[in-house]
Amino acid sequence: MNRSPIPILKIKSTLITSVQTELQDETVDLFQQDILTRIEKTGARSLVIDISALDALDTYVARMLTSTGKMAKLMGARTVIVGMRPEVAATLVRMGFPLSYLETALSLEEGLSLVNQPIEGFSVDDGQQGD
Amino acid sequence: MRDAGHDSSQDAKESIRIVEEADIITARQRVRATAQELGFDSFAASAIITITSELARNIWVYAGRGEVVVERIDKGARKGIGLQFIDQGPGIVDLPKVLKGGLSRGGGLGLGLSGSKRLADEFDIDTQPGKGTHISVVKWKAR
Amino acid sequence: MRRDEIDQYMDILNFDEYELRSRLEFFEITDDDFRCLAGLRDFASKYTEEIVEKLYELILGHPETRTFFPDAETVERVKRKQTEYFMKLFRENIDLDYIRDRLRIGFVHEKIGMPPKWYLGAYRRYLQLITDRLIEEYRDRPDLAEQYVRSIEKIIFFEMAVSIDTYIAAHVETVTRHKEAIRELSTPVIKVHDRVLLLPVIGTVDTHRAQQIMETVLLEIVEEQAKVMIIDIAGVAVVDTRVADHLIRTTKAIRFLGAEAILTGISPNVARTVVQLGVDIGEIQTTNRLADGIELALHEIGKAITPKNQEKHLEKARQQERPGEKR
Repeated sequence: MNRSPIPILKIKSTLITSVQTELQDETVDLFQQDILTRIEKTGARSLVIDISALDALDTYVARMLTSTGKMAKLMGARTVIVGMRPEVAATLVRMGFPLSYLETALSLEEGLSLVNQPIEGFSVDDGQQGD
Repeated sequence: MRDAGHDSSQDAKESIRIVEEADIITARQRVRATAQELGFDSFAASAIITITSELARNIWVYAGRGEVVVERIDKGARKGIGLQFIDQGPGIVDLPKVLKGGLSRGGGLGLGLSGSKRLADEFDIDTQPGKGTHISVVKWKAR
Repeated sequence: MRRDEIDQYMDILNFDEYELRSRLEFFEITDDDFRCLAGLRDFASKYTEEIVEKLYELILGHPETRTFFPDAETVERVKRKQTEYFMKLFRENIDLDYIRDRLRIGFVHEKIGMPPKWYLGAYRRYLQLITDRLIEEYRDRPDLAEQYVRSIEKIIFFEMAVSIDTYIAAHVETVTRHKEAIRELSTPVIKVHDRVLLLPVIGTVDTHRAQQIMETVLLEIVEEQAKVMIIDIAGVAVVDTRVADHLIRTTKAIRFLGAEAILTGISPNVARTVVQLGVDIGEIQTTNRLADGIELALHEIGKAITPKNQEKHLEKARQQERPGEKR
């Protein structure tokens, strides 16, 4: 199976991921697949996506985020978007984009405390365990 | 007054061909670099990068191929970025509805075109069903 | 005016070799004109001082222009400069260095608040004075005199165009600086408490200002990692659909960041407008009084304002619980 180049970490029952670079549409689809598969495998109850590295967010990626949130919710996990930059928030609002099915928090730390996950005992799950 | 044939060194135009998906990223990076060079604030930069992304993707999704022309406008006190999105694709049939937003050709929310219009300072669209689409956008640097 | 300032104005006016050639062409200044002007140098040095004297009779004779020259010393200095300036008109070419030199004129005039009308009016007098002298000097050769007057006219109009352009550029720059100062004053974000910010919006909110409010508010929230942003609109002159729409967009963007927005200062009129216009305010928390908004905000971050007498009660209660410490 193809995997997206975006790593997904796991702390207790929370999946954490950070979108760092320019996303190609193909990567975006793989990323969504990856996340959902990991939720299924790990039984994660929450998903925190850090987008602080993005200086622009088009509707394609924004739509992927909201649909991921919606799908994760169907699977019983809540999704928190953290670290959205001011210019990105302004652009999305000006375009009239709704962020449904997503919660937001100012920082990763805030996002984690929102999902009741204090930072301790973090382990990097590299996703290598068998299918 | 300058004739059209003369390009002063400060006004540079660059054309990026859109033939595959990676070209959208190339266009976006070119626009980001130009916004930085001109000293755009982060809000204006984010707006013009997002416009590039939306409209270049539209070319790729609907027309398959086309061209993005990035023009650096540096007329003394007035600085900005001019963009042209040109394709010979199917064109847009119900333009007024698409521009209002909420009508999508590709199954999304249909905010790409209407949203880009809202983010731009100047927005012109010329489209003919079956012939193609030409969109011109200008984003000025805030004074 | 510093060298880099001059370069900045050259840049603003887009003054390069191409621009220079383009202007010379439009003002129809040719090599013949430069030959004429260079050839008139002796004539000019003979009459310029006298012409400047006459010019200052006009300038110092007018009540409004006189005020720019506070004392005799200034007058003498300016006259000397003026003589130099006029002598430089009689030249065999114009290059960018010369333009740089000329940019100062408009710039200095703008800085001392001398309006262009006086500058143009004085130049009119100069043109008349020099024309009179030329016609007098070349009364045997009216054809030559005419040619010379043409060349002088051309270079004077050329100079005036450069000065006026600089004038405008300097003025625009001043206005821009004022605008920036006003912008900073008009969005004063106040830190009410750790992670609680307040923006009192006062005056008129147009599209431009609304955008600026949104940007400032979002930047401050991230900068301060604020949980709550209170926007007080009690001081907004008119709240119509557009303003309401802008405010709602701003609160949406605040939520996108992961912070809460509270709108305070909602007057009966505003409440009526919002409902009558059918503006959807969604889940935005609103209050009439700023004080209530602040209390709400503190609640949001797990703090509360306690009345002082209640504090006394609490203190008493604590003391009763620990009788051992009681004196």
